[in-house]
Order: sequence, then C-alpha cells, then structure tokens
Amino acid sequence: MIEIGRVCLKIAGRDGGKKAVVVDILDNNYVVIAGETRKRKCNVNHLEFLNKTVKIKKGASDAELEKALKSEGIILRKTKPKKAGPRPLRQHKARPMVKPETVARKKKTKEAKPETGPETIAKPETKTEPGADTKTLNQKEKAKTSKPAAKAAKKAVNS
Amino acid sequence: MVAPRFRSRTFRRIKVKTPGNRNTIHYRLRKPAKAQCGKCGRPLQGVARARPIQLRRFSRSQKRPERPFGGVLCSSCTRDELRARAK
Repeated sequence: MIEIGRVCLKIAGRDGGKKAVVVDILDNNYVVIAGETRKRKCNVNHLEFLNKTVKIKKGASDAELEKALKSEGIILRKTKPKKAGPRPLRQHKARPMVKPETVARKKKTKEAKPETGPETIAKPETKTEPGADTKTLNQKEKAKTSKPAAKAAKKAVNS
Repeated sequence: MVAPRFRSRTFRRIKVKTPGNRNTIHYRLRKPAKAQCGKCGRPLQGVARARPIQLRRFSRSQKRPERPFGGVLCSSCTRDELRARAK
C-alpha cells in the first residue's frame, strides 16, 4: 500500500480532507507527502491511502510533480522560501520634557531659601524641545521664580 | 427572601463584601454547558464556554479548533467522516 506515488488523503489536522501523494518513505511510520498540502513529513496513521497511484520517481522535482498530479486533478501547493528582511528597529517618540524640569526647579529654590537670599534664584538652563511651546515654558519659569524671589526679598527685609 | 426573578437555577449566588463592609449576595448568570460532539456525544475540546457577549469578543480561531468539522465533531468522528467521504 505505502509506495512512492500512492495517492492519499490527509484525515487529521487543519489540512484534513486534502489530497496528496507520497513522495518519499522515511520510516515504518513516517512518509513525506506533497500535493494540496505543503511538502511535509506525515504520520501514516494520519493518512488514508486511496486506490490510485501516480508515476513519480524518488527525487522528483516540483515541475514533474505538478505534471503528474494534474492527471489526478490535484493542484500542487507551491511555497516560496521566505526572505528574512532587515530587523525592524524600535523607534522612541520624542516627547517634550516639561514636567520633570519644573519639579527640579521647585526643589532647588526650596533648598536655597534658608541659606541665602536672591542669589540662588538663578534660572537653570532650559532646553526647549522642538515640540514644546516656548511661550508657555517662559511663563512657567516666570511664575516659578516670582514667588521664591518675593519670599527671599521678604526674608532679606526681615533679617 | 430571594426575589422571584432570581429563584431560577440559571442564576448562581455569589457572596460579595461591599466597600461599606456589608455582606451581600449577587446573582450572576451561569456559563453555558460544554459543547458536545454531534455524532458521539463526547465533550469537545477547543470550544470556549462563554456567554454570547463574551463569545462575540473572541476571534474565530479562539472559538473552535482549526480543523474540518472543528467545533462540531470530535477528532475521531472527523476522521471517520473523511474516510467515508473518500470512498
């Protein structure tokens, strides 16, 4: 029953119900099939052998297979080898860093208060990101520095 | 006293502790029964048991096995059917 060229039907798996032809015999239990299914190794228990045979030699090429199978009405499934493309690099979005800088500025001015007066209220260099609004940034800076400046001035007056 | 509409056995009773530290009972609908093979009656594998709303959110491949007669016949019945059709 099991011979090269024997037409069979795959009864198990997602390609169940599809016709194929035995192309090579590997073992007592394993066989290589090709046809409507991909060219693959298959267990004999998952195949149902039909009464038909096809004339194929052992090392038959795809073209020969296609011709032989056409007579039985089986269209050979062709698979192209995949080309491994370049690995996609992860691209990080450029985000406008506004929040952490305002927090840092707050901390600096709080620490500086007990020590000295208006000297420590030097504005830290803010890098303006292309996405951020320069107007809003400047406004925020002014807002942050005006309060501690006023407080420091008060302290100087009191002391 | 259980409200008349919840006395049916299609609802299951769940004990719930509320944020106000009270123990109450919630009534929830049960999951549907396991799917069976159309031929032999054995329970099927790969078919999700879920309420219709949840089933609607599943993809097609999550609801049945990727096989001819998947979700309808069990694997052995499928093989018998395919063998019979080949002859």
